[in-house]
Amino acid sequence: MSRRAACLLILALLASACGGGGGDDAGGSGAGELRGAFAVVAGACAPDGTRSGSFFRMVQPGGTLEEGPFVANADSPCDDKTWTPLRPGTDGGLVTGDYQPHPEPPFAANDGAAAAIVEPTSFFAVRFAAATNPTDPQTGQAVPAPSVSVDEQGALHGDLSAFGVAWNQQHFNQGAPKPGGARPGLTAGPSGTYDEDTGAYALEWSSQIEGGPFNNFTGVWHLEGTFAPAAE
Amino acid sequence: MRSRGPLLVILAVGVGLAAAPMVFQMFTRAPLGGQMIEEFRPFMSPARLDAFEGHLTRIGAAVESLHRRGAGLEHPLVEPLATQWPEIDADMTGMLDDIRDNLDNFAAVAALPPFPLFPWFFLAPGLLLAWGAGAGLRRADHDGLPASTRAVLVALGLGLVAAPAVFQMFERAPLGGDMIADFRSLMTEERIQSVQGYFLVIGAAEGALRTEVLEELEADGMRAVDVRNLVDAWPAMAADMAPMIGAMSDNLDNYRAVAALPPFGLFPWFFVIPGLLVAGLALLPPGTATAQKETTP
Repeated sequence: MSRRAACLLILALLASACGGGGGDDAGGSGAGELRGAFAVVAGACAPDGTRSGSFFRMVQPGGTLEEGPFVANADSPCDDKTWTPLRPGTDGGLVTGDYQPHPEPPFAANDGAAAAIVEPTSFFAVRFAAATNPTDPQTGQAVPAPSVSVDEQGALHGDLSAFGVAWNQQHFNQGAPKPGGARPGLTAGPSGTYDEDTGAYALEWSSQIEGGPFNNFTGVWHLEGTFAPAAE
Repeated sequence: MRSRGPLLVILAVGVGLAAAPMVFQMFTRAPLGGQMIEEFRPFMSPARLDAFEGHLTRIGAAVESLHRRGAGLEHPLVEPLATQWPEIDADMTGMLDDIRDNLDNFAAVAALPPFPLFPWFFLAPGLLLAWGAGAGLRRADHDGLPASTRAVLVALGLGLVAAPAVFQMFERAPLGGDMIADFRSLMTEERIQSVQGYFLVIGAAEGALRTEVLEELEADGMRAVDVRNLVDAWPAMAADMAPMIGAMSDNLDNYRAVAALPPFGLFPWFFVIPGLLVAGLALLPPGTATAQKETTP
């Protein structure tokens, strides 16, 4: 056995012995794919302006993720109406490795009906509903089930191209990357952090809307809570 | 030797017609035009435009009511609507007027044969003409143009002449050109972004009126009927406005593709002129050109 091969073998044995967390391919630091449920902690705005939990924002065309300008949603309970809190849906949050599709029909009146990931949330008096579908309803493209992985430093990345929103009888892909892998405009992520000891995570991504009444606006998603690995 | 001139001209006309769809990129542009027609269709009716104008009237009444009462105007989400409403109203009304002025034009264009077929109206007769002329050229040195080939060429020529009349292109195509010209100012990124912005201003104000201002007004004993009407009607208004903005935004490229086609008013002549030329040349008596040539000193 060569010296290089021996070193690799020792490293692999060490990684195997130290495995943990939810990573399927868990290495010494839990690196690998996180298959399971990213439970969503509800967003909340304190009177002093601090925020916690999960939120949605929308950047206006020509804006930036940091500075906006952001769309003000008068239905937000926050003082700063550009932050719209999200509340966990019937599944508790976002599932990776599987889809949480829109129901049929996807709308109840003009409100989006999907309630698995987050509760349908009022936006300009009409509720938007988030879902992940094998075929993206806006583009008609086949998309993989959501996947999120963690690296050795606890940083998250993945593919949320299946993530979409139904609002006002319209579908908006809100994935990152977009179906097909592109990242137009301010589309970025998903990124975030994961603590394998506690399961605490924060997952963020932004997705520029392509087409429809909010063409070139960008949805910014911030989910946080606890990750629960899928049962083996 | 008989003259090949007429047949060569017919061959050139056929090749030209067959090449036109490629030259003008009709195979890509025409279907996009068809898609635009289909996506605009739901909004191109007097009833739909009446509904939009009703929405504007309702918003205007609510804004006027707020001004009259001097209430709610300082709310950060209401103030933009209160100050920008005259500009928004003027722009949106102008847009609806432009659309209403083009209802007949749209109907005329929508009554044309399906847009995706347009390139085939050039390609198919062009290839047939080229084939007929080619067949004639192969035999012209020996027996003259066969009667059957001559008949086919004459029929194709007359068919080309008749097609614009059959499809009423002389009336409809210029109307389509008028619509494309009138929509030029509507179908720009800047204009669509403006309309998107109006939606945000109106929607944000409605939300503030619904969740905060209206309650305060009514608590003060004011019967803010116009504001209440706006709030009650907003879901229907949003359901009307959002798809219209979406249709405009989604069809920007389609509009550009149609606008890049040759002027609609010329389309009938793209058939009539080649048709007359082909039929006339095919009807020339055999040897006419030769006889003329022989008498020339």
